[in-house]
Amino acid sequence: NCPDKGKMRNSYCRVCDSRAHSSDRCPTIWRCYITIKTKDKIGMPQIWCYNCGSKGHFGDECLQQRSSRTPNLNGSSFSGGNLPKSLR
Amino acid sequence: KPIQQYPWIKNRDHSKQLELSDWLTLEIKDFINYISPSIAEIEARNNAVKRLRKEITTNLWPDCYVNVFGSFATDLYLPGSDIDMVITSDSGKYCAKSYLYQLSSFLRSKNLGVNIETIARAKVPIIKFIEPRSKIHIDVSFEKTNGLRAAERIQGWLRETPGLRELVLIVKQFLAVRRMNNVHHGGLGGFSIICLVHSFLSLHPRLITNSIDPLDNLGVLLIEFFELYGYNFGYDNVILSYNPTVCYLKKEEHSYLGASNTFALAIQDPDDPSNNISRSSYDIRNIKRSFIGAFELLTNKCYELQAASYKERLGQSILGGIIRYTGKER
Repeated sequence: NCPDKGKMRNSYCRVCDSRAHSSDRCPTIWRCYITIKTKDKIGMPQIWCYNCGSKGHFGDECLQQRSSRTPNLNGSSFSGGNLPKSLR
Repeated sequence: KPIQQYPWIKNRDHSKQLELSDWLTLEIKDFINYISPSIAEIEARNNAVKRLRKEITTNLWPDCYVNVFGSFATDLYLPGSDIDMVITSDSGKYCAKSYLYQLSSFLRSKNLGVNIETIARAKVPIIKFIEPRSKIHIDVSFEKTNGLRAAERIQGWLRETPGLRELVLIVKQFLAVRRMNNVHHGGLGGFSIICLVHSFLSLHPRLITNSIDPLDNLGVLLIEFFELYGYNFGYDNVILSYNPTVCYLKKEEHSYLGASNTFALAIQDPDDPSNNISRSSYDIRNIKRSFIGAFELLTNKCYELQAASYKERLGQSILGGIIRYTGKER
């Protein structure tokens, strides 16, 4: 009986091939960075998990039960996909 | 009238920016410029401190030091912020209550302060007053050096972390407008706000790999700050820590911090690992909710402006959705 139910089912984003949102509400509209190109190789930095507090993975990739009760449907900035390609 | 509501956008139009994150970045910089103190304001503050220091050390207690800490010492103050002062000495004798009353009658007799309040029974006894020439509120505490150490540490962070100052000022103003910045009412104190932003910037995937310059990306970073602490951060499980550098700790493994696995923000004091500097911010549920609101308002404005024509974009503000400025026109 949710009025947005039908709308949600039809939402599809052509930009990121996702059914979590429609193209006009795609996070890429605001999540874009002005990047700098560094020639020197970057070593793997220490990364930490916002969900469980462990070292070695980001919160978006945490295997433990999600602590926050607000959902993370579209992924956040703390994701392995946000690292440079060479480090993913 | 949008110009009066968002005075920082006056004569500064970014509606032709191709990327909305760049528009927001430029607006953040405009806002920081707008609220940054003028030379006259800086001088009035410095003179007030200098005058008090001179009077106290020459005419009252020659063996004491008068220092400033808090937002005045770190340059993270908003218009109308107070000045935190501390009186210290080599002997440490000024913690005795009698000195509190000595100073308050000295200020009164020399006309150095008006509306003087002596709060002797608090955990940290202080004197509050208004400096009559500059009209600035001043808090004086006695023989407490932790504020001075914290100010030095924050000055170091500000030097090493570009973007920290800008994001802290925005978050501070955001919380101040909603009256969520007062520790006595469960809000977030200045130091806690700085720690949240500093930890966010120090752990962000793009920043730890040097793939972006934070000053060019303040807009997206602001939204992602609200995303992290509004939606995703595991307040039940995770402690922000500086041991030895920025990291997270698990609450269950560090229960000595008084942080049980319940919904509460825990920030380990960099100067005292057994202390949780945000233990009194009991209103964290509302703060998390307000961060979600900020994220929603900022991103919805971006979606709206993305779909709008250039004509409709003219004179609009993205930051105005979450920040208001109600003080005197600057």
